[in-house]
Amino acid sequence: MKPEECNEIGMNCTEAFSTEFWTAISPELVMVIGLVALFIIPNLGNSKFRIPLTKLKIPWFLGGKRFAITGSPAIPGMLATATIFATLGMMAIDIIDGSVKTTTITSGDSILFKIDAFSRFFEILFLVAVLLASMATLDRIPAHTFKGKKSMDEMYDNRRQADLYILLLTTAIGMCLVALAQDLFVLFVGLELASLSTYILVAFHKESKSGAESGVKYFIVGSVASGIGLYGLSLMYLEFGTLQLSALRDAWSGTSTLGIIALGLVLVGFGFKVSAAPFHFAAPDAYAGANSPVAGVLATASKAMGMIGLIRVLVVITLPDSSGTLSEESAIWLYAIATLSVITMTWGNIAALGSTNPKRMLAYSSVAHAGYMLAALSAVGAWRWGEIDAPVDYAQAIVAAVLFHLFVLVAFKLGAFLVLGMLEMEGGASRLSALSGLARRDPLIGTAMFIFMLALAGVPPLAGFMSKFLVIAGIVSTSVGTVWVDGSVSFSDLHWVWWLALAMFLNSAISVFYYLRIGVVMFLDIPEEGRRKPLPYGASIRMAIWICLVATVILGLSSDTLIDMCYRAAESLDWD
Amino acid sequence: MSESGIIDYAVLIPLLPMLAFPVILFLGRIFNGTPTWVKNLKEGGIIALTVMGASLLLALAVIKEHMNSIGATNVFTWFETHWWEVDGALTDRVFGVGIYIDHLTVMLLFVAAFLCFLINIFSIGYMNTDPINDNRNHRFYAEFVLFCSGMLGMVLADSFLWLFIFWELMGLCSYLLIGFYYERPSAAYAAKKAFLTTRVGDVFLVIGLAMLWNMFGSLDYAVVFDPVEIAKVSSSELQIALGMMFIGAVGKSAQFPLHVWLPDAMEGPTPVSALIHAATMVNAGLYLVARMFPFFQAADIGSLSTLAIIIACIGGITAVMAALIAFVQMDLKKVLAYSTMSQLAYIFTGLGCALWFANNGYEELATFALGASLFHLFNHAMAKGMLFMASGSVIHEMHHAHHEVAHHEHDDDHHDDHHDDHHDDFDAQSMANMGGLANKMPITATAMFVGSMSIIGIPFIGGFWSKEGIIASAWKVALKEPVFLFPAMLVLIGAGMTGFYMSRMWFMTFAGKPKTDVAKHVHEQTPWIPIPLVVLTFMTLSAFILAGMHAGAWLGDYQSGHYSNFFSGVGEELQYVFLNDDPFLMVLTYVTIGLSFILGPSFAMALYGGSLDDDDEAKPWMQWAIDLSARVNKNSNFDNSAWANSSLAYSLEKRLHFDDWYDAAMLKIVVGFAYISAKFDKNVIDGVIKTIESTSQAASAKLRTLTTGSARDYIMMTALGTLAIFLLLWGVA
Repeated sequence: MKPEECNEIGMNCTEAFSTEFWTAISPELVMVIGLVALFIIPNLGNSKFRIPLTKLKIPWFLGGKRFAITGSPAIPGMLATATIFATLGMMAIDIIDGSVKTTTITSGDSILFKIDAFSRFFEILFLVAVLLASMATLDRIPAHTFKGKKSMDEMYDNRRQADLYILLLTTAIGMCLVALAQDLFVLFVGLELASLSTYILVAFHKESKSGAESGVKYFIVGSVASGIGLYGLSLMYLEFGTLQLSALRDAWSGTSTLGIIALGLVLVGFGFKVSAAPFHFAAPDAYAGANSPVAGVLATASKAMGMIGLIRVLVVITLPDSSGTLSEESAIWLYAIATLSVITMTWGNIAALGSTNPKRMLAYSSVAHAGYMLAALSAVGAWRWGEIDAPVDYAQAIVAAVLFHLFVLVAFKLGAFLVLGMLEMEGGASRLSALSGLARRDPLIGTAMFIFMLALAGVPPLAGFMSKFLVIAGIVSTSVGTVWVDGSVSFSDLHWVWWLALAMFLNSAISVFYYLRIGVVMFLDIPEEGRRKPLPYGASIRMAIWICLVATVILGLSSDTLIDMCYRAAESLDWD
Repeated sequence: MSESGIIDYAVLIPLLPMLAFPVILFLGRIFNGTPTWVKNLKEGGIIALTVMGASLLLALAVIKEHMNSIGATNVFTWFETHWWEVDGALTDRVFGVGIYIDHLTVMLLFVAAFLCFLINIFSIGYMNTDPINDNRNHRFYAEFVLFCSGMLGMVLADSFLWLFIFWELMGLCSYLLIGFYYERPSAAYAAKKAFLTTRVGDVFLVIGLAMLWNMFGSLDYAVVFDPVEIAKVSSSELQIALGMMFIGAVGKSAQFPLHVWLPDAMEGPTPVSALIHAATMVNAGLYLVARMFPFFQAADIGSLSTLAIIIACIGGITAVMAALIAFVQMDLKKVLAYSTMSQLAYIFTGLGCALWFANNGYEELATFALGASLFHLFNHAMAKGMLFMASGSVIHEMHHAHHEVAHHEHDDDHHDDHHDDHHDDFDAQSMANMGGLANKMPITATAMFVGSMSIIGIPFIGGFWSKEGIIASAWKVALKEPVFLFPAMLVLIGAGMTGFYMSRMWFMTFAGKPKTDVAKHVHEQTPWIPIPLVVLTFMTLSAFILAGMHAGAWLGDYQSGHYSNFFSGVGEELQYVFLNDDPFLMVLTYVTIGLSFILGPSFAMALYGGSLDDDDEAKPWMQWAIDLSARVNKNSNFDNSAWANSSLAYSLEKRLHFDDWYDAAMLKIVVGFAYISAKFDKNVIDGVIKTIESTSQAASAKLRTLTTGSARDYIMMTALGTLAIFLLLWGVA
């Protein structure tokens, strides 16, 4: 699409690599510049380039003996944190007051990216998660800048500083690409960029057995899932001749056999990312093996990334436009996703009940949360299935609820992982007993952890309650539809997605058990041998935990701003 | 909505004490025992006093502003929340805390804020000098301010919902305060009893509120008092709902048959007794009933009469029953407790009259009766607050005197190492140990004297004006509705009985010769105690000013310009009482005065009167009463031993066996039921939960064995999942 045609239909289009293009993607550009700087700065040194056949040496600065200031192991962490913070600042300003300028970036006839409320919302989510993780990592894998003899671990830590933050930045960039992508292929490239980075991050402690093993396992299973998804994309291209979202949306037909096969395969690919059962198996292993801040990013940002894929495929492509010509068969995924959601939430919660490793427990809890979000998507399907007579606000409200849920998860799930990260700083956090007596050893952190658990369980007035409330209310109001207006509703009038809300409700009840068990352990048990002293200090990880805590409480008490943001994001999808 | 003014800040009146609650509690926890905390802050008393003072000033300002602009209501929004609307759009539904100010609010607000403040002053004198309170007065003051916050909040609330919330807050605090000496089994028992008994009423209150919600879709006064709305609902249903709410009021105000908790509540410290019995909790029930007034006004004529009659009858029965029991009580505070029940019953009768009039279309009479009732509430609160504080003063000084006497004896025997330990059989509250205190505690005796006269209804003092109004209203209804003869008769008899038991109390305590050694050594000490007594004495004496301002009438707002001419106001009031145009009412007045002023006190003097020790002289305004009592006593030779030994006296001492019956019923029915439900809980509910828990743990173990740890298995599961998705997609397509 040429920019001129584009402007005619009221969009703001920019050809890739034009001048406007650079302005439009300036926040992302900051990240790329930061990434390059991360490559260069630690490697600055006194090396000189000798012009061949002469004795003339020109200072070249890359390599040689590193400068003391730039070569300090503390530099990469600070640089990466500052980069992400700057990017976040650039993005946050316009989304909070709601004035995101929708910009479409095209290359020839195809649309590559679209900067709108939806993509900005997710970019901010990703960056917040990565920022918190990188703040926490400053203490979790500290740079040892002191002089003198260092232990083996400390030397390892120092050597890997740059690697870690480069990988964090590439993860962030990949995720942002996914959020922006308007073409399934571009989306896939972003997904793989982020995934490959996270595979390495999971295996970052390669010298420990569990770290290496979990990284490899995550990589293998992840590659299989990616392969299946990619195969699905190729089939889709074969059937419809394009991977452009808007074109696919027009061309999509629920009656095409190849299309259905492609859809199934693509769902597997994204299902792995959101860790839906039965594609979740690698997730608990990966979270348990990874260090906690990284596991936190996996459980929040990475899941949100998969959710973008699902929303793009399920809500944008396969739902018909309001002309409704395809309404009978377009949301054919309804039963599949609904079944998947119930299995996922039940599996996650029941498996979490017996987990004694807090990280695995959180992993299973994140599986359960994926199930809740899939249930919400099913309700969107039911809305367009043609069985429910309801206006578009219903579906938008549900999508907004999912976005809200994804966002607040960053506050309390990542926060919980960061608390485990603090415990890892003084040893492992792979047993429940590591948490015992935490409230006595460090009352503030213990209380924070307890509040995160309450939020995960969905106790009012915390953010977790609000998100669950919005999702359940969305499902229920969809299942009721506009029948209500006629007066009383009989049970048989309800659409069956109502049962998903009930399943969610029952599952939440089950989940309270294992969340509160953490509280019992923290408040009532006696600390383990060797864990009697207060936790190590760690200024920036503590600050990250405080941010999570404040967000958990504030977003529960006054969630209006965030809900409005989610609404704008949900509305900016192609609904008609 | 009023224009902005001090009323906008009315929300601070309950908020300040509520905020002080945690502050006092935590500061007390931290600083207990340090000199500053004990000496300068009086263990939290000063903080509480500051807050209550601020509340009082604010309340006065609000009242003044209300007087200038009558009938303002003001809503302070606490927070807003979004709720899902059915048509898909989100709408704001405001959930807020509102302030509702009208005449009724103003009256109760003044009573509560003023008395809470004075009782706080009193507490500093009473609590902080009590050695057994060491290091726990902060708990008292914290609970005290929370209690006050509950009362002030309840009065100011703008909906029955918030009224109920604060109502329950008070219930909680009364439980905590009555059980302040929780190590004493009797106090723990009394606290439990008060809590459970009021709970019975509260259950009905909740039912009533639920019914009200069901009818109106809201509990905001602004909605439910709308005459249009009231006309729409079925009045028989409304009557049941209001009746349920009335049962709640019966529990809170300790009326028959839910009165049993109140005498036992005397186990709490005396300031608490004053707080619960005079200023706050017992008035809550009256306030609730008075709040129902608009329903009766707007409902169909006569449709709610039954409830009004029930209210009046409950009042009449309680008035006589409580007075009867008060005849034989020896415990100073228990006499006052029963007197409270009796006087509250008067107010209920008055409210019953007001509601009957309102429902039958006699607007002017209704406002008169309502005004009289609320005026009586005011007078009673002032007098009873004073009486309780005065009794507290007596008990406090008796305690100290006993301590001194015991100390003295121990000194003689060289046993001074045990001098703090005076846990013997001496009962500092029993009137059998007192007597002749009039000259030893002049301020206390004066306060008690004036307070008793106000309660009795001695002409021109305090309660006289309002009690006349209530009795007159009851008889006026009785002329129209014969059933009302029953409560009308009862309140008339009750007036005479009040005269007897209040006089008996005063003469037993302050007249005659000291009955024990301890009573000889009593003297007033701390300045904190007399201050509120003096203030309240003047308040009670000056009730005629309020009467002259037609205090009864302006509550009903049926005459305008009533504060314009004060003297003619007093004149009118006097004429109305003593030289009424209606001969029936005039006769009634003199009969009442005869019963309460002549007959009752005369019997009391004949039985318990007597002069002081020879060299003692009470203040002149009391000496005449003591002299008179001595003369009556000498001349009458009245012997009541036949009465005192009768089975009636025995059952009165046993409080007419209500407690026994309730206890028996509790033991048989409730405890039996409790055992069954405990068994049910243990076997069925716990059993089910344990089964669920073990089953799901087993399922969890099974599920987690699927997570083998081998990537091959994971990929196989992924493949299976893919297959499942295909099947589901195919099945639909």
